[in-house]
Amino acid sequence: MSATSDLANLDLVARRLRLKLIQMSHAAGTPHLGSALSCVDILVAAYWNVVKVDPRNPSDPLRDRFILSKGHAATALYATLAERGFFPKEWLDTFAAHGAPLAEQPAPNCAPGVELATGSLGHGLPVGVGMALAARIQKRDYRVFVCMSDGECNEGTVWEAAMFAPARKLDRLCVVIDYNKWQATGRSNEIMALPSLRDKWAAFGWTAHEVDGHDLAALSRLLKNVPDGSGKPVALIAHTIKGKGVSFMQDDNNWHYRIPKPEEIEAARKELGLA
Amino acid sequence: MKISFSTKSLRETFGQTLVELGERYKQLIVLDADLNTSARTVLFKERYPDRFIQCGIAEANLFGIAAGLAAQGYVTFPSTFAAFAARKALDQVYVNIAYPKLDVKIAGSYCGMTATECGPSHNCAEDLAIMRALPHVKVLDPGDNYELRSMMHAMMAEPGPVYFRVAKVNAAELFGPDHNFEFGVGHLLREGRDVTLFGTGFMTAVALAAATLLDREGISAAVAHIPSLKPIDEELIVRQARATGAFVTIENHRVFGGLGGAVAEIVSREYPVQLEMLGLGDTVFEAAPLQDLLRHYELTPHALAARARALVTRKRRATAA
Repeated sequence: MSATSDLANLDLVARRLRLKLIQMSHAAGTPHLGSALSCVDILVAAYWNVVKVDPRNPSDPLRDRFILSKGHAATALYATLAERGFFPKEWLDTFAAHGAPLAEQPAPNCAPGVELATGSLGHGLPVGVGMALAARIQKRDYRVFVCMSDGECNEGTVWEAAMFAPARKLDRLCVVIDYNKWQATGRSNEIMALPSLRDKWAAFGWTAHEVDGHDLAALSRLLKNVPDGSGKPVALIAHTIKGKGVSFMQDDNNWHYRIPKPEEIEAARKELGLA
Repeated sequence: MKISFSTKSLRETFGQTLVELGERYKQLIVLDADLNTSARTVLFKERYPDRFIQCGIAEANLFGIAAGLAAQGYVTFPSTFAAFAARKALDQVYVNIAYPKLDVKIAGSYCGMTATECGPSHNCAEDLAIMRALPHVKVLDPGDNYELRSMMHAMMAEPGPVYFRVAKVNAAELFGPDHNFEFGVGHLLREGRDVTLFGTGFMTAVALAAATLLDREGISAAVAHIPSLKPIDEELIVRQARATGAFVTIENHRVFGGLGGAVAEIVSREYPVQLEMLGLGDTVFEAAPLQDLLRHYELTPHALAARARALVTRKRRATAA
């Protein structure tokens, strides 16, 4: 699979990745499947159409940085990186096993392409800001993308960093919020006054767009447009569906913790149109 | 007995040494959380504005940004008060810095009781315990200006995270300009037979003064200075345990998990001895000038000498019996 592909192919890639995440959750008995399925299209659009990275040279100092700050959705990142050739797909088979490279939440330097140990929420953006500052000091033009969850926007550090980045005109920094309207224990818009996320990020000095977080073309177009010439960092409020791609998982928050059974994997495979 | 303090504050030395290191190491970046005049990082800011990052009153963000820069090859010095580094931003220090072993050198100023009149919200009697408990983090409390400077040079040559204290005091001079700090090395400043007084940071000067008092009454007290709490000089501690059989520790910190705790962890395993710890108990450092605080919490040479005297008396009785 080449790095740039047409949308039909990318749709197939996304469906394959979704099945893989379901299989990984089952095999390892790990939760957060709904959260992982939610951000697959964001990762596919980024890693196939936007982020300048080379699997053969994963530490290239000039590469774009992509941070999955919602570390609990690590399966989505691992499956994406494996599919893009950063490491053998067999690594996915030992996901979450003791001593295996891919842990339930990403460890430091655990695998080529993983930029940051995440898991404790609200850390990705401040570190991403540091990386963007490093690029500026080094006079390098790489970009930094940080994918966060909507629940993660409960964390105060998100807003500390949100206030800081525009003050430094870090216009090569982009936040993508996987806005699936759920967090672990309830509706994210009810637990915290999140709406309007677009207005909040705009008010903090970011160029803020709302986008269908499952529209690969729209996501790719907006992500490619970073920096957008305004001098501001960019925030994409990506409206998503938790558990996206499988009817009986979609928008059902039980799948924050539930582990799929073998018959559910088969049902999902059929729905995803995969043999 | 009074301690004679230096004319120069540790924080001034901190600021000046940053400037010195900034000249030599172009990959050094200093970050601040709106305290650069108090913490004296302003000296670096004036000299190297391009390598100084003002993060605002947002300590969690400060450490996250410091980690992001360090992950791209910089050596970063995020600076804030000890209270905010150890208490407010602990998860950032752990997840972003300690866990990936990044080259981040954390300066905790106004540590222990040295925020003085600012009171319990700013005083921090638990930073050594908290930082010592983190994986991969080296923990240091310099005894004087010479040692702080040498320590900062040493940490540039030592990859990985360091937490070091910059007390807001004019610490008494223990050493001279050729003093050489090494990680995990303590210093026996005074020989003695009956008891060893252990100090860290500027409190070692109190131990030295106490030893002089004890000497006048026929008690021979050794004084050991422990600037590196992690790694710690186990060999020195065990040697002193065998030589004197009785320890008193004194620190600008709570008696849980700091110098006393670190020494106890070693002797309880290697060579148990009678051990008394002087420091703050299960309470807060109240708001007051430094000298009042030292008296109030019994961290003076007289108070230390009294505890050591009682310990030596018990030891002598036990030996006689």
